[in-house]
Amino acid sequence: MSTFAELLLNGLSMGSVYALIALGFVVIFRATEVVNFAHASLLLAGGYITAVLHDDIGFWPALLAGIAGAALVGAAVEFLVMRRYRGSDHSVLAIVTIGVDILLTTELTRRIGTDVLPLGDPWGDDVLTIGSISLAHTRIAAFVTAGLLITAFLLTFRYTSWGVAMRAAAESTETAALMGVRLGRVSLGAWAVAGGLAAVAALFLTVFPTPGLERATSLAALKAFPAAILGGLDSTTGALVGGLIVGVTESLATGYQSELSFLGRGLGDVAPYLVMTVILLVRPAGLFGTKELARV
Amino acid sequence: MSTMNTARTTRVAAGAIAALLLLSGCSSKAKDDDGKSDSAAGGVKTGKGISGKTIALGALTDMTGVYATLGKSVTQAQQLYVKQLNADGGVCGYKVELTVRDHGYDPQKALSAYTELAPKVLGFAQFIGSPFVAAAKPRIDGQDKGLVLPQAWSSALLGSPYIRVIGSTYDIETINAVDFLMKEKGLKKGDKLGHVYFEGDYGESALAGSKHIAKEAGLTVVEQKIKPTDNDMTAQVAALKKAGVKAVVLSAGPRQAASLVGVAAAGGFNVPIIGNNSAFAPQLLATQAGPALAKNYWVASPSLPIGADTPGAEKLVADYKKAYPKDSLDNGVVAGWTAAAAFGEALKKACASKDLTREGVDKALLTIDALDTGFGIPQNFTDPKAPSSKESVILQPDKSVTGGMKVVQQPSASTVAEAYTATE
Amino acid sequence: MSETPVSEVPVSEAPASETSARRPVRLPTRARTYVWAAGALLLLVLPFYLDRFWLQAGLFAMAAAIGAIGLNLLTGSTGQLSMGHAFFLAVGAYGYCVFAADGGDGLTGLGLPTWLAAVLAVLVAGLAGGLFSPIAGRLRGAYLGIATLALIFIGQHVLFNAKDLTGGFNGRDVPPLSLFGLTFDDSELLVANVPFGSAEKLWYAALVLLLGGALFARGVLRGRPGRAMNAIRDHRIAAGVMGVPVARYRAAVFVLSSMYAGLAGVLLALVFQRTVPDYFGITLSLEYLAMIVIGGLGSVSGAVIGAVFVSVLPQLLTRYSDALPLVSAPGTGGIAPGEASRYLYGAAIVVVVLFLPGGLVRVAAGRRFRTDPGEER
Repeated sequence: MSTFAELLLNGLSMGSVYALIALGFVVIFRATEVVNFAHASLLLAGGYITAVLHDDIGFWPALLAGIAGAALVGAAVEFLVMRRYRGSDHSVLAIVTIGVDILLTTELTRRIGTDVLPLGDPWGDDVLTIGSISLAHTRIAAFVTAGLLITAFLLTFRYTSWGVAMRAAAESTETAALMGVRLGRVSLGAWAVAGGLAAVAALFLTVFPTPGLERATSLAALKAFPAAILGGLDSTTGALVGGLIVGVTESLATGYQSELSFLGRGLGDVAPYLVMTVILLVRPAGLFGTKELARV
Repeated sequence: MSTMNTARTTRVAAGAIAALLLLSGCSSKAKDDDGKSDSAAGGVKTGKGISGKTIALGALTDMTGVYATLGKSVTQAQQLYVKQLNADGGVCGYKVELTVRDHGYDPQKALSAYTELAPKVLGFAQFIGSPFVAAAKPRIDGQDKGLVLPQAWSSALLGSPYIRVIGSTYDIETINAVDFLMKEKGLKKGDKLGHVYFEGDYGESALAGSKHIAKEAGLTVVEQKIKPTDNDMTAQVAALKKAGVKAVVLSAGPRQAASLVGVAAAGGFNVPIIGNNSAFAPQLLATQAGPALAKNYWVASPSLPIGADTPGAEKLVADYKKAYPKDSLDNGVVAGWTAAAAFGEALKKACASKDLTREGVDKALLTIDALDTGFGIPQNFTDPKAPSSKESVILQPDKSVTGGMKVVQQPSASTVAEAYTATE
Repeated sequence: MSETPVSEVPVSEAPASETSARRPVRLPTRARTYVWAAGALLLLVLPFYLDRFWLQAGLFAMAAAIGAIGLNLLTGSTGQLSMGHAFFLAVGAYGYCVFAADGGDGLTGLGLPTWLAAVLAVLVAGLAGGLFSPIAGRLRGAYLGIATLALIFIGQHVLFNAKDLTGGFNGRDVPPLSLFGLTFDDSELLVANVPFGSAEKLWYAALVLLLGGALFARGVLRGRPGRAMNAIRDHRIAAGVMGVPVARYRAAVFVLSSMYAGLAGVLLALVFQRTVPDYFGITLSLEYLAMIVIGGLGSVSGAVIGAVFVSVLPQLLTRYSDALPLVSAPGTGGIAPGEASRYLYGAAIVVVVLFLPGGLVRVAAGRRFRTDPGEER
């Protein structure tokens, strides 16, 4: 039983990191209806800046620099690439982000090389132990941060003018533009925010229990895809719930690998995708996604 | 197309076939005679891979993919060996040239690179990725017959007279590692042994070893398969804890080692953990997992570490530092150096018997029964069905030593390993 | 996107600021036929001159072209984003091995005649596509793209774990194809005094398959189904209102595209002579998407051009790494050839989409870009 509780808690805390990544997808999708495959490289960019700077300027300033840097990279991608596209096929734009991702990731992995870069966080490898269950401080921090950020976004989307503009843009770009919404700004802002979120997620992906930032860190973004989709690509709540489902599924599938060995070993990475497929069969727009209304 | 067009197309096609037959007569690929081996000056027989005064060797490496860390060290060590060999006059008066191709652990690029280099080189001093070696195997054994020294220690590669694995394979290394746990760390009959391993050739070869010794010694293996992208071992530790294992073998990468050892230590799960030689990198000692690694982690290795106090190791460290001052010294350097030295030694023997053809080099390697490259373990190449050694060294991470590892158990092969033959 | 001289519409004058300087002279019909004939002749004689490396590169490109044509039918023409193409390639490659192998290596093998095995493997790939279509039919756009990503992960899991079928991590040997008594293996066959190994023989088989695949796809695109597919891409609901059976078409295209992937998989397996699971990962799927975007969405020749570009470029850079500026041989520092080719193909995707809508095929055909097919919704 205590193993179950430990796996569950760990899954939830890991899931909150996935939720942060998924939130990045959601923000961009809401504003522009584009799935951002370059998110993995934004993550790597944020982590890299933090890792390089923390020795000289300390952890917190380095983290802020990482967030700002990744936000800047995100904004630059929007300004230099996404905005220049003349067509309106969102699948093509999604493929463009794959191109951007290849470019950025190649550059960053070339810089990182074969190193493992620690981020110099203050939590170290401290662990909170309750009974027989132990939970790393980093994970508690991740959980709290994700909760705060996602609440903040829920409120932002609902009450600020940027959030309203974004919802208007998602509803109908033309109408929004006619109503005076500056679509360029909405989309630029979304990319910058997604970059910042990616940097925060990168922090929690590279601290204890993982040794540090390295070239494969960005692959974690692949796990956030099912999270974003099964929650619903345009839903903030969906990102949170999706992230937690993926985290828990992964953790339990790994922890009970022996019991599940008839499905083949190493199920941890596959299980989230299986869950996603089942959910999509029942709800094609995800758990909290807006059902598409036909407009002819 | 209109009918007129079709008629014209037919006419053109007929002409094309005629032209084709004419043209092919003057192709450079056409066979004229089988000038297989030439006798150059000094009566040394030469063949493919030697032109003018150069012996060409190939290296198929991975510097941009999952094995980038290993590939970089291996390649640089081999380039260093070749440089020194040439500075000493080369082999038989020939200069050796190493052509490196980076396949980035991509099967298509690996096979292309093999196809490109195979007709031009005498043999391969390096070939990373056992699935790719397996893919090229029919051609290596069938037509090419050049010596290939894979940097992959999978037992599935044994048996070919041309593909020669250097040092103990992962299954044997794992047997020796478990043997160490039983002799020194209190693991005993009836206990459960955790094994966390990568999906793929490396992890699954190692698993074959741990299953074998478990059967011999009355242990139960608790398996945890992971992927190279899994960097957080929390769930694995929880599962192993639940199963009540008394020791853990890790056949994964350095990052997984850092995470597993770190999580286990933080959670008070104090069982001994031992890894294969790929499951450690000196860079880890600078991370938060450093202290835990130094305390409760061992590594089984097919040779003494780079920081060993033998004259050969000390010279290599000095030379390598001079040539690549920015790069870290790890066991990849030893592996690369050993392979290059084995190839160099085979070349020298082949030179002595005046036969530098592929066949001559293959034969020459079969006569080498105790090659010592300065890292403690003699390599015996006389039996193609066995790896060149069954011995392992047990190392422990230590910040103060060059390469980050010190020896805790000198080279030896356990009795189980001696009696073991891979079933695959 | 036609490449034959069907329309000889006089080209209207372009604005001076446009790319009019590059406008090629339209060749008369007869001359174009000769150009095509010369091209075909060149392709036919290549095995007599090129060494195995180049032939193999060409074979990889041709196999990729077949797969890319299939993906282009699905993503380019019908607007269904698929990231699972590598899965169907794997079904084709492994399916062929299972049907054709005789079980001598301890793995499941049915020992069927190899040509039959190839046909069955393609059908099984189509069947796999058909099985996925209940999911594919319900999802759109990004949702479909990521759902197909699941195929990759589940597929690789099966490839690594179903050892009896796939041989696990080390893969399994591919039995050589034999057809009319000719075996496409490395046993030497002298043709006009040139020794023919597997690469030379497979070259012709691949040419035939590619030509057949391309002509069939062109037939589909030019006919009624093609217009229906474009209608679905450009406006699904309007297409439905106009009487296009949307769901049936989408499922059918998914099956057809999977069969193309299966055929490409069979050909790749024959070239590799061994299938390994590492190959059929997400990178491969992304490469196929890159091919159709770079070459030109919705066009058969675009898929071919894109496939050649994406699959030959890294091999060229690796081979000539010593001679290129900026690029340096591995182990000497600087940009490695592998990295250089990734920069180039990442940049190619971005540049093509932004500045050459319609892909390289538009440049090759010398046509001025008119409107993006997806512009009007």
